[in-house]
Amino acid sequence: MLNRPPKTFQEPTPEDYVPGRGRGATGFVTNPEYSLRANAAFAAVPDAGAKFGTPPPGYVAGRGRGLGDTRRETLAKQAAAARSFLSQQKEYDDEPVEDEEDVDDGRPLDDEEQGLFANTVYDEDDREADEIYDAVEKRMESRRQRQREERINEELKKYRNENPSLEQQFADLKRGLAQVSEEEWASIPEIGDYRVKKQKLEKYTPVPDSVIESAHKERSFDPSIGTLSSTQGVSTDLASIGEGRGAVLGLKLDRISDSVSGQTVVDPKGYLTELAGMRITSESEIGDIKKARMLLKSVTSTNPKHAPGWIAAARLEEIAGRISDARALITEGCQKCPTSEDVWLEAARLYPQEQAKQVLASAVQRGRVPGSIKIWLQAAAIESDITQKKRILRKALEIIPTSAKLWSAAIELEPPEGARILLSRAVECVPHATELWIALSRLESYENAKVVLNKAREAIPAEPLIWITAAKLEEAHEKEQKQSADNNTSEEYLLNIYLEEMKNDGVRTNVTRIIERAVRTLSMKQQIVDRDRWLKEAKESESGGYYQTARDIIHFSSNLGIEEVDRERIWLSDAETAEKEGYFMCARALFALLVSNFPGRDNLWLRAAHFEKEHGTFMVVDELLRRAVAYCPRAEQLWLLAANEKWRNRDADGARAVLHEAFSSNPGSETIWLEAVALEKQAGELDRARILASRARNSEADSGRVYYKSALLEREAGCAQAERELLEQGISKHPDEPKLWLMLGQWHERQEPPQLEEARNAYTSGLQHCPHCVPLWVSLAHLEERANKWTRARAVLERARQKLPKEDILWEESIWLEERIAKSQRPLHSDQTSTSSMIGKTTASKSALSVLAKALQECPDSGRLWAVAIELESAKQRRARSVDALTRCDRDPHVMIAVARLFWGEHKIEKARSWFRRAVALDSSLGDAWAAWYAFEKQENGESEIKEIETQVESHPPKRGTKWCKVRKDVESVQLTTLQVLEKVAQEFGPLKSF
Amino acid sequence: MSYLLPHLHSGYAVDQAILSEEDRVVVIRFGQDFDPTCMLMDETLYKAAEKIKNFAVVYLVDIREVPDFNAMYELYDPCTVMFFFRNKHIMVDLGTGNNNKINWAMQDVQEFIDIVETVYRGARKGRGLVVAPKDYSTKYKY
Repeated sequence: MLNRPPKTFQEPTPEDYVPGRGRGATGFVTNPEYSLRANAAFAAVPDAGAKFGTPPPGYVAGRGRGLGDTRRETLAKQAAAARSFLSQQKEYDDEPVEDEEDVDDGRPLDDEEQGLFANTVYDEDDREADEIYDAVEKRMESRRQRQREERINEELKKYRNENPSLEQQFADLKRGLAQVSEEEWASIPEIGDYRVKKQKLEKYTPVPDSVIESAHKERSFDPSIGTLSSTQGVSTDLASIGEGRGAVLGLKLDRISDSVSGQTVVDPKGYLTELAGMRITSESEIGDIKKARMLLKSVTSTNPKHAPGWIAAARLEEIAGRISDARALITEGCQKCPTSEDVWLEAARLYPQEQAKQVLASAVQRGRVPGSIKIWLQAAAIESDITQKKRILRKALEIIPTSAKLWSAAIELEPPEGARILLSRAVECVPHATELWIALSRLESYENAKVVLNKAREAIPAEPLIWITAAKLEEAHEKEQKQSADNNTSEEYLLNIYLEEMKNDGVRTNVTRIIERAVRTLSMKQQIVDRDRWLKEAKESESGGYYQTARDIIHFSSNLGIEEVDRERIWLSDAETAEKEGYFMCARALFALLVSNFPGRDNLWLRAAHFEKEHGTFMVVDELLRRAVAYCPRAEQLWLLAANEKWRNRDADGARAVLHEAFSSNPGSETIWLEAVALEKQAGELDRARILASRARNSEADSGRVYYKSALLEREAGCAQAERELLEQGISKHPDEPKLWLMLGQWHERQEPPQLEEARNAYTSGLQHCPHCVPLWVSLAHLEERANKWTRARAVLERARQKLPKEDILWEESIWLEERIAKSQRPLHSDQTSTSSMIGKTTASKSALSVLAKALQECPDSGRLWAVAIELESAKQRRARSVDALTRCDRDPHVMIAVARLFWGEHKIEKARSWFRRAVALDSSLGDAWAAWYAFEKQENGESEIKEIETQVESHPPKRGTKWCKVRKDVESVQLTTLQVLEKVAQEFGPLKSF
Repeated sequence: MSYLLPHLHSGYAVDQAILSEEDRVVVIRFGQDFDPTCMLMDETLYKAAEKIKNFAVVYLVDIREVPDFNAMYELYDPCTVMFFFRNKHIMVDLGTGNNNKINWAMQDVQEFIDIVETVYRGARKGRGLVVAPKDYSTKYKY
C-alpha cells in the first residue's frame, strides 16, 4: 500500500464541482489585504451569501462577528515596526562591507554549524579562521562607533517614546504604591492556590503498640499503689466511677431535701411515675426506698386528702415487696379520701379478686362515688361470671342511666334479641348517642329500622351518620329486591353513573332522596357539616360496599363551599386522590360530575376515559368516548382514543366507523387520516389503506407527513415503484420534510445493485433543504462508508458537527466510524493484532479515543457518549470510567445499560439485574434497554424476568434506541412481531468485561 | 526537478488527492514550475519525496492552472507548501508568524523531512497545529 506510485487524479471533474467545498475545506484569513482579495474572489462563486450584498470596505471576515486573533496581529504590527527600525539602522552604515554581506544570508552561522558541520573536528585551521573573523569584526566595530552609538540611542529613544514598555506604562501606578497604607496592604486578599494538583494519597503508618500503651498509661490513673498493676493491659478507672455516682446521689438528695422542707416543689404525679418505674436492683437502692418512704409518709400525713400521695405510698410498698403494708396504706387512703375513684380502683387492684369485689362494693355503697362509671365497669370486669356481670351492669344502669358507655357494655353481653330490647331502652335514656341509634337500626328489620332512624333524626338532627345509615339501609333494601327480580350487571350500573349525571335527573330512588335531604338540612341550612367531611363519609360508604350512597353523597355535596371558578380544579384533584387511594366509585362519581358540568372540555373527557380504561370496562370506556366526541368533536385525541379502544377490542368495523365520523368533523386533521391508514394496515386491508392514503393526500390534510406515511405503506407492501413515485411527488410538494429525503435515499440504497450515487444525491439535496436533520447526516455518512469512502464519511460527519455542534448522536457516529475504520485496517498491521489478541483485550483505536475525548468535552452530559466511553475503555479502566459517567449523568438509561453490562461481565447477577431494571424504569420506550436486559436474562436463565420483559414489551412496544430502530425499521423485519425484533436486537448485546 | 514530482491539474484532482490519503500526510506545493523560488523548493521536495514516502506524499499544483484555492488559502507568494492529513489542514508553528504554510524555499532537505515528520506525528495524535523543530523566525535574518 505504501509503495504505490502517486496518482495524479486525471479523471474528469464532475460538473458544478466547487474545489475545496467538495471535501468541506475551510480557508483562513491572516491579513486584511488578502481577505479583501479573497472576498472579491469568492463573490464570483454563485453563493447563498450573495444575497447579503458586498461587504463594506475594510470589512474583515470573521472580525465582524467578533472572531479573529487580534492579539497576534498587534504583535505582528509591533514586530514590523521593530524590523523597519533595524533596517533603517542598517542603511546608515555608509560602507557596507563585502564580508558582512556574505555572512548575512539570512541563516546564522551557528545554526549552519549545528546542521552541516556538527560532526567535524574543530582543528587548527578553524581556529585561525575564527581569529581572523574576530579581528575583522573588532575592526568593523571600532569604525565610526561614536556616531553610530549616538544615532542608535536617538532612534531608540524615539522608538521608546512611541512604544512605551509595560514598566513605563505602569510607572505612575507604581509610584502610587508608596501611598498605600498598612491596613490596605493587609486587606489585599490572598490568592488561592488554583494549580491543579494531583491529590497525593495519604499514607497511614500504623502507630506502634508501644506508643499507644505509653500514652494510655500516661492518661490513666493507677488506683493501686504498688508497681504490680503496671503489667495489666487496661486498668479500670475506679476513682472516676465513684465520683460520678457521688454526683448523682448528691443531686437526688438535694431534690428530696427540697421537698421535705414542706414546699412541694416536685409535683406528685411526676413522682408517682418515677416511683412506679423504680426497680430494686441492688442493696444501694434500699436506701433510696427508705428515703422515699419517709418522704411519702410526710406527704400523706401533712396532706391526707391528697389521693395521689396515698396511691404513691401504696405503690412504693408494693414495689418494695411489702404487699400487706401497701394494702394497709391504701385502705387508710380509702378512708381518708373516699371521693377519689383512683384510690378505690388502686385498692381493688391491690386486693385479691374476692376482696376487691368487696372493696368496690363498699366504694359505691359507703363511699361517695356511686356515680363513677369507672368503678362500675371495673366491678363488672372483675366478675368472671356473665350473669354476675350483667347483674352488676344492670345495677349500675339503674343508678347511672345516662351513660352510653355502660349501656354499650351491657348490650355487648346480651344476645341479639335481648340487645334490641336493651337498645330500645338505651336510646330512650341516652338519646344523643349516635352509635346506639345506629346499632339499634341494624338489629331491627327494614321497616322498624326506618322508624328507628327517623326517631334518631329527631333526637339528633345534626348528625350526618344517621342520614347516611338511612341511605345505606335503603340501598341494601333495594339491592335485595333487585337481586330477587333481575340480576343486573354492574357494567350497566357504572355506565348509569355517567348517564344520570348527564341527564341530571336520575331515577329518584329513596337513597337519592335521603342524601339530598341530608345535605340540604345539614349543610345548606345549618352549615354543620362541610364538604370534606361528606367526602370522607362517601369514601367510607364505598369501602362498605354502598356504592349508590357514596355516589349520591358526592353528587349532592360536591358543590358545597366552593367558588364557581374553583370547581374544576378541586373536583379534579379530589378525583385523583380518590383514584390513588383506591376509592374508584368516588373517583368515578367525581369524574361524572366533571364531564357533565364541563362537557366542552376535552381534557376532562380524556382524563375520565383514561380512568375508566384503567379501572372500568371496555363498554363504559366506549360509551364514555362516544359521548365525549359528541360534545368535543374537534378533539382529535378523543377520536383517536375511541378508535383505538374499538380496535383493541377486535372491533375493526366499529373503529372504522368512528374514524369515519372523525373525518366528517375534522376534515383537515392529518393525524386522524394517518390513524385510519394505520388501522387498515394493521387489519391487513392494504387496498383500503391505499385508497385512504390517496384521499388523505388529496384532502386538506396534505402534508409531508402524509406523503411519508403513504410511502411507508408502499414500502411495507413491497411496491418499490409506487413508493418511489410517492416520494418524488411528496418531495416536489414538501421539500422541507426530511423524512421524505431520507426514504428516497434509502430506496436507492435498497435497489439491486444499490444506486449509491442517486442515494447520495438524495441525501445531499435533502441536507440542502433541512441542514439540521441529524438522521440525514448520519445516513449520508453510512452511505459513504458503504462505498468504502472512509475519508468522505469522516468529512461528512465533521461537517455535520460543524452545523450541529452539540449533537451527541453525531459524535457517537464519528466515534464508531473511527472504530470501524481502525478495525478494517487492523489486519494490515498484523503484528499489532497478534500482540493485542495475545494479551486478550480489545483496544479501541487511538483515533476513536481522541474523537471520544473531544466529544465528551463538547457534550459532557450526554449519557450516550459516556456509555460509548465505558465500552471503548480498556477492560481494566472500565470500572473507573463508569463511576465518572455516573457522576456526570446518573439519570441516563444508556449509562445504566453500560453499567449493568459491566456487572454482567463480572457475573454479579443481582446487581446487573437491578441496573437493567433501573434503565427500563428511566425510559420504558428505549428498545435498546429492553433488548440488553433480555439478552442478559436469556443467558442467566431468569425465567420470570424473561416473562416480565416479554409482557411489558408486548403491551408497550418500545419506540426508540439506535439498535432497536435499525432492526425495527428494516424492510425485512416488517413482518416480525415485537418479540422477534427484541430477540434480534438482543443478539447485539453482550457482557462487558472489566478485568 | 518539478517534472519528477506528480502534478495536480484541477481543483477536483487536488481535493481527491487530499481525500484519498488515509494515513499519510499530503504535502502540496502551490506555485509555478518556472518560478525561481519554486525551483529551489522543488529540488528539496524531490530529494525528500522518496525518503518520506512511507508517511507523506508530495504533489505540485500550478496556481495559474488551478486558481480555485488562491483565495481560500491566500496563495499570493511565489511558492507555498501546505500540509494536509485526513482532509484536515495541519498548521505548523514555524516561528514566522504564519502558521498556515511554508512560503519560502527551504533548501535543507533534512530540515524539511523533520518538519514533515513532526506534522505526521502531530496529526496522528489529532493535533491541528504542530511546532516545527527549528525556529524560522525573522530574528535570525538580521
